[in-house]
Amino acid sequence: MQEFEPKIVAFVCNWCTYAGADLTGTSRIKYSANVKIIRFPCTGRIDFMILMKAFENGADGIIVSGCHPNDCHYSTGNFHARRRWIVFRNLLNFTGIDTERIQFSWVSAAEGFKWADVVNNTVKKIKEIGPYENYKKIAVSTLFNEEGASNE
Amino acid sequence: MSELIKKVKALLNDKTINVFVGYEKGSADRIRACFARNEAQANKVFFDASCTQNLAGYLLKHEVKHFGKLGILANVAALRSIMQLASEFQIKDGEVYVLFANPDGTFVEFNDFHSIEAYLQTTDTGIKAEEQERIASLEAMSNNERWLFWNKEFEKCIKCYACRAACPMCYCHRCTTDVNQPQWIPVASHERGNLDYHLMRAMHLAGRCVNCGECATACPMDIPLNLLTYQLISPIKETFGATAGMKADATYALSTYKPDDKENFII
Amino acid sequence: MSRIGVFVCHCGENISATVNCEKVAKITGELKGVEFSTDYKYMCSDPGQTLLKEAIKEHKLDGVVVAACSPRMHEPTFRKACAEAGLNPFLCEMSNIREHCSWVHPKDDLTTEKAQDLVRVMVEKVKKNKALNSIKVPVTKTALVIGGGIAGIQAALDIANCGHKVIMVEKQPSIGGHMSQLSETFPTLDCSQCILTPRMVEVAQHPNITLHTYSEVEVVDGFIGNFKVKIRKKSKSLDEHLCTGCGLCTTKCPQKKIPNEFERGLGFRPAIYVPFPQAVPNKPVIDRENCTYYIKGKCKVCEIVCPTKAIRFDQEDEIVEVAVGAIVLATGFDVLQPDFFPEYGYGKYKDVIDGLQFERLASASGPTQGQIRRPSDGKEPKKIVFVACAGSRDPAKGIEYCSKICCMYTAKHAMLYKHKVHDGTPYVFYMDIRAGGKMYEEFVRRTIVEDGTHYVRGRVSTIYEKNGKLIVRGADTLMGGIPIEIEADMVVLATAGVANKGAEELAQTVHVSYDSYKFFAEAHPKLKPVETNTAGIFLAGACQAPKDIPESVAAASGAAVKVAALFSNDELTRDPLVALVNRQPAPVFSTCVGCFLCQSVCPYQAIEREEIKNRNGEVIKTLARVNEGLCQGCGTCVALCRTKAIDIHGYSNQQVYTEIMALLND
Repeated sequence: MQEFEPKIVAFVCNWCTYAGADLTGTSRIKYSANVKIIRFPCTGRIDFMILMKAFENGADGIIVSGCHPNDCHYSTGNFHARRRWIVFRNLLNFTGIDTERIQFSWVSAAEGFKWADVVNNTVKKIKEIGPYENYKKIAVSTLFNEEGASNE
Repeated sequence: MSELIKKVKALLNDKTINVFVGYEKGSADRIRACFARNEAQANKVFFDASCTQNLAGYLLKHEVKHFGKLGILANVAALRSIMQLASEFQIKDGEVYVLFANPDGTFVEFNDFHSIEAYLQTTDTGIKAEEQERIASLEAMSNNERWLFWNKEFEKCIKCYACRAACPMCYCHRCTTDVNQPQWIPVASHERGNLDYHLMRAMHLAGRCVNCGECATACPMDIPLNLLTYQLISPIKETFGATAGMKADATYALSTYKPDDKENFII
Repeated sequence: MSRIGVFVCHCGENISATVNCEKVAKITGELKGVEFSTDYKYMCSDPGQTLLKEAIKEHKLDGVVVAACSPRMHEPTFRKACAEAGLNPFLCEMSNIREHCSWVHPKDDLTTEKAQDLVRVMVEKVKKNKALNSIKVPVTKTALVIGGGIAGIQAALDIANCGHKVIMVEKQPSIGGHMSQLSETFPTLDCSQCILTPRMVEVAQHPNITLHTYSEVEVVDGFIGNFKVKIRKKSKSLDEHLCTGCGLCTTKCPQKKIPNEFERGLGFRPAIYVPFPQAVPNKPVIDRENCTYYIKGKCKVCEIVCPTKAIRFDQEDEIVEVAVGAIVLATGFDVLQPDFFPEYGYGKYKDVIDGLQFERLASASGPTQGQIRRPSDGKEPKKIVFVACAGSRDPAKGIEYCSKICCMYTAKHAMLYKHKVHDGTPYVFYMDIRAGGKMYEEFVRRTIVEDGTHYVRGRVSTIYEKNGKLIVRGADTLMGGIPIEIEADMVVLATAGVANKGAEELAQTVHVSYDSYKFFAEAHPKLKPVETNTAGIFLAGACQAPKDIPESVAAASGAAVKVAALFSNDELTRDPLVALVNRQPAPVFSTCVGCFLCQSVCPYQAIEREEIKNRNGEVIKTLARVNEGLCQGCGTCVALCRTKAIDIHGYSNQQVYTEIMALLND
């Protein structure tokens, strides 16, 4: 049986984590190819619905990463993001959504090693937990329903 | 009762208000909201312990607003709604005449936001014990059990948006559900679309919900929607020290921050 | 249907060593909407850019994706190339297949597949990109400098010498600030007044500088390049044009016993006064709170004696409105009120004074003409104790930071004392000696070695009076913490430097942020130390944090350069990647509901209120509007907006949604 290769999407801010991931590359530190980055200006820009959409479209894991507190390029975007994630995680937990699949981190532009660690550890964790069947199920059953409806 | 009717008539007669939002008995003596604009309608205004609906939801409705100056018979939830709406610049001080129904059947006027704030400080605004228990029992479940529980509940949702219409805080002219470029929330009422919708609604009410419970009351499918937002009330209070609907000039918990906000999940 | 061009760069072998670039170009070339795709050895080289430009023209491309290195590296390069080929630069995006792919993954199919995914995401994003034009904002080439201390003076002179107009506002009747109160300055011991007053005069006489003393900024509206400021000129009860500054009024004023602020209470002044002899402008003001006429309704001695009839008892405050393009905040600092320390007996014992009072005692123009005399009986103190870190670095007192200047001025005080009282013995209680700075450590050494100052490492726990002596009790931690008691004649507390009174209110008026100590916050602690988060507003001097004179001057010159750079163009050009609130035809106007929750998240005060009025002029809707001049494009408001009325160019809802869809659905 083929090993499970999770799909992981990373939402990162342009100024710290994106630059940190650039440094990972410049330093030629290796990490897993499962993670793909989508760039945002700031973690403050990352709408909670973006995370919902990622799970819905088949992501098994999500990384959200930005500047360390007090380092935000826009000074306060990450503080607002942090509040948002505190609340959103509560809600996700309460609705039974697997918050273990979302890794939040602060990775600065100097932390190339940390970025590789975050990615590798997340990939490792998601491989252990396995594919996000619960979410995939409702996505699949939805497709089935829509097709089913048209067939009837 | 006659005291209330007399008061409403006086308010209408001296043009303090153009319409009074209160309660009346509808068909089969069911309590419903009324919008009294003249003496005849004022005569029907009714109040007893069964009148629990949060009428503040009507204050921003265009159909009510266009009558002119509004008066409202408020309960605690309505007072908190008014405070929250004020903090979101939807109601100005003095714009709405507020008559508050005490639990003992007497009525008090609140002339300004300040007196409402002072009153709210002295009264119980928490969620009911039974609701607290339901939340606790859900929290005691495993993650998967909770997922199954809500999945089953959301499966019932027919996306009638009654919850949205009943909620005093859902006053956007265009809800995110109605945005189609991009289509954040699928239109159809399938499990995925329903989950999206309810998560989105709960997040948009996080830190704004005044626990009136109108969403759950309105739901024709009996989904305990109020639990989604109620559940966020205590973490928001504990972590950020914020409670919605207590002050007219409050800052929204999610549009402010403290540099040392505590969390335990960001590495 | 889009006509997108995909250009895959090998970056020599940096990318092609692990990614099959030909394959990436071929596969992504088959994507819907891709008109042209190719790979090339070095896309950023001249031939590479020429290839890009020619392809744009030849294939009439309406979007470009360059799959190469990080956009943080070459996005400007390729956007410029696109613009040169006639394509709007904001229709060009980069896929990072080097730093985020080829350099971090091994050579295998997965790596090439990831590169394809990354290109696909950008192809889909580019389809949603909009052609954008740079934002142009006009610039009013006048600067406002708030505060007339050494920092404000330096900034104003530098800006004025660049040929720009400067308006300076000073709260006190004279400019000069704290520096004018100092006796000598470390580490060279040159007289503060001697080096400061020529600058003060230069400010007053500079053709480009308009000076408003005894004035405060009341309202600041507008944004970078276009501020509107209201200044309240408090009434001086004087016609400044008629007054010659002869000073007769100040000598004849019968009210003479008002504690002199400039002397920090060690001397007295009349009700009509000039703060100090070298004041600029050298014209008196009437202190209405203490003037007999204003209190009792009669006196008017000054009016009677004034040879030019310049006194105006009925003069009212004047509001001046000015338009400026930039603002420099140079409002300085204050020293902690020493009554903060009941254990040190300040206020209770006359001979416990603070550092600024010692400056006045040591100053040749001070209340004792520079002789060190203790306030209680005017005797020369033979034993004197200096307490460093009075408040600073004391979390229990709420001030965790180091005030930075006290180590040096305490060393200077001890030295000045020895120079004036040869047989005196100075003690300094200190925690650490922080003497980082050119010639600073040497200066402290001199105090210790040449002047024989006794440095005791330890804190003072209490000070009390006994038999006419001040008993200073502390511990010497270098001697194992043994208790130490000194019978002193006088004690000087090096009180912490704190934010100026009213700093918080001023920050709110001017719309800049401040830290938990109420010092104004810089935009970036390392790389933008003189900028604030509000574009067009800069910081100079100790309003930002305690600073000594050279640091304040350096920061002021830095701020001045920022202002001059801003004024070097008639228009400000900005990247158009800013947020915007949608607008729709009446009667909707916008889907914004005006909850203004976005307003409090914006770090730049870029969200304004726009009132939509009907024909009768009644407000029917209040909507949020983004000021393009102020918005820096963080997008925090976008994520918060419940009704999705705000969006942001470059990272729009459509764009990010499409990116996720494209990434996860191959």
